[in-house]
Amino acid sequence: MAAPGPLVLIIEDEPHMRRFLRATLRGNAFQVVEAASAREGLAQAAGRNPEVILLDLGLPDRDGREVTRELRTTTRAPIIILSARGQEHEKVALLDLGADDYLTKPFGAAELLARIRVALRHAGSPAEGMEEPVYLAGEVRVDARRRQVFREADEVHLTPTEYKLLAILIRHAGRVITHRQLLQEVWGANYVAQTHYLRVYMAQLRHKLERDPTRPRLLLTEPGIGYRLREEERG
Amino acid sequence: MTLSTVSAAPPPLPAPPAEPTPLRREYASSIGIVALCTAFCFALRPRLKTADVAMVLLLGVVAVAARYRRGPALLASALSIAVFDFVFVPPYYTFSVHDTAYFLTFGVMLAVALVMSGLTARIREQREEARERERRTAALYAMERELSEAVGREALVAIAERHLGRAAGGIATLLLEGDADPATWPTTGVFDSPEVRVAATWARERGIPAGWSTTSGAGAEAIAVPLRAAALPMGLAVIQPADPDRRLSDAERETVFALADLGAAALERRLLAERSEEARGAIEAERLRTALLSSLSHDLRTPLGTIEGAASSLLEEPGALGADTRGELLQSILEESRRMTRLITNLLDMIRVETGALAVRKEWQPLEEALGVALLRLEERLRAHPVQAKLPSDLPLVPIDELLIEQVFINLLENAAKYTPAGTPITIAAWPENGAVVVEVADRGPGVPPGEEEAVFGRFYRTSSAASADAGAGSGLGLTICRGIISAHAGRIWIERRPGGGAAVRFTLPLTGPPMDAMPAEPLEA
Repeated sequence: MAAPGPLVLIIEDEPHMRRFLRATLRGNAFQVVEAASAREGLAQAAGRNPEVILLDLGLPDRDGREVTRELRTTTRAPIIILSARGQEHEKVALLDLGADDYLTKPFGAAELLARIRVALRHAGSPAEGMEEPVYLAGEVRVDARRRQVFREADEVHLTPTEYKLLAILIRHAGRVITHRQLLQEVWGANYVAQTHYLRVYMAQLRHKLERDPTRPRLLLTEPGIGYRLREEERG
Repeated sequence: MTLSTVSAAPPPLPAPPAEPTPLRREYASSIGIVALCTAFCFALRPRLKTADVAMVLLLGVVAVAARYRRGPALLASALSIAVFDFVFVPPYYTFSVHDTAYFLTFGVMLAVALVMSGLTARIREQREEARERERRTAALYAMERELSEAVGREALVAIAERHLGRAAGGIATLLLEGDADPATWPTTGVFDSPEVRVAATWARERGIPAGWSTTSGAGAEAIAVPLRAAALPMGLAVIQPADPDRRLSDAERETVFALADLGAAALERRLLAERSEEARGAIEAERLRTALLSSLSHDLRTPLGTIEGAASSLLEEPGALGADTRGELLQSILEESRRMTRLITNLLDMIRVETGALAVRKEWQPLEEALGVALLRLEERLRAHPVQAKLPSDLPLVPIDELLIEQVFINLLENAAKYTPAGTPITIAAWPENGAVVVEVADRGPGVPPGEEEAVFGRFYRTSSAASADAGAGSGLGLTICRGIISAHAGRIWIERRPGGGAAVRFTLPLTGPPMDAMPAEPLEA
């Protein structure tokens, strides 16, 4: 038998959703442990030491924010929120509290697996910083040592703020980052409400890096939440 | 409903109406005039006959009676008689009169004073009345004008309180009628007084004014005036005078009552309008419910039927199905689920739009972003159409809720994809115009049937040329939702026939929103 895959904790009260998640994950060589309530989930998180946690936003017994906060006291495992459409506000709150990513129901198996893989990869390299001196994404190449950015063969000149923004997105490649997190890192804590700064700079980056800025391939918008740098699927 | 009070800032007290000259001054003047006449006669005494003296003194009496009230007139008359008798009628410097004919002169003087002062009083009263009528008309007119411009019950109440307070020379508080009892009245200020509470209760129960300046409960330090309207009692106005010792004149009281009636009528109109609005809303809601139910039962059952059928085939006859068939069945389950998701999303959006539960969180942002999200999400469904989306690079930021405007783009692009033949282009354009950004989503399809430009925004509208169910017939809600969202952004949305064929949906996004901080300067290059 092959080595057992990473352990995923599913905290979800809806049995059919759990069945879908369990079947998909087991079929892709993950180990699964399930919890039908926040209380049970918190206990499993502490006792079983999962590598990824899927947390449903809308458990009957506890508020999502409380659960996230409490999970973060016992585990550093990435938390992926499972939510319905229209819960953007709540999702942002949980992401700002330490959750790592989210999936909006209904979602497909491919999306689920991609999110889990990204989360696992980031958890595996805890040193926050550019993973590689040269980052490649589609047509864009970023040389971190020289602070140079290329689109295909041409060097693209970025302003210091644009570069800073891009560097943060690369560091979180594949994962969502909220407006607040980006504003805080680039402009500082006093500017977390000035989302238009961020949007204007993202638009500038897109115009410099995307082939068609109205159909971004790399710098994706997560409406109502933040941004995500699309990562090439590897392996 | 409860009896509610809406307190307004006390209005500045107007200058009291011009008081007639104080009585004391009138008496003094009348003495002065008599003294003047006496002095005049005394000075010219050698040349005047006694009858002339009487005439001069009479003139003084007339002058006093014509200008002053009865008291000073009588005083002038008495003084004149006394002076005449004492100084000018022999024997001089005694009050005895030898010639009884002089009694006639005295009588005439007295009678003239009485008659004249009576006339004067009547003229003055009439003048006062006319003035008060004028004031009342002006007050009514001013209040009516303000009431007609007021929005909302609070504004009506504030206006009525201000005008009533001014008319009565005090501070007015309106107690609006519910079916509540005096137990819910305020207990502070003037309502602390038991007399006022009794007067107010009396006024409310009998529908007649009570308290200060009335015949019932005049001891109270405020007047309670019922707000009488045509059909419904509207409550009470309680007015606390600035000077409780002064009483309102009949005319002033009438003015206050007239203003109270005017306020009551305005409140009643408002209440009736609210009720009919509620009734209309209830009918609308009922109609929406019916439409939603029929939509739910048909549009949701169809895909569910497919899903259930396909799934049961897969479960029950796994051996009999070839790999191709299995794939097809699975594909239809997936597609029909997605169709249901879209439909439910639309229905939920519709309900949010229709019930006013649409929370708009506006943020300044480039329009490109919301459009980009919509284009990405619809990539699959737009594959059959070349989509041209080029926004000018100098388009200003727009204050929008990105999730909602993204939904507008999705609905418009979906419609364009659904109702136009494959291969026809879809163009998206935007430009600034008159303090707004105008956005256009245009296609080269059959266009909107003439005369239906408004109807397409109605609920559950389906054009006769709608593609078959094969293309995934719409819910008929897309444009209705768009209109709801654009209205919530204070914009307009409409559809036009394009020159050269096709439809163009345009909407405006006004550039008014929360203030936007200027961006900090770019740091110097590291």
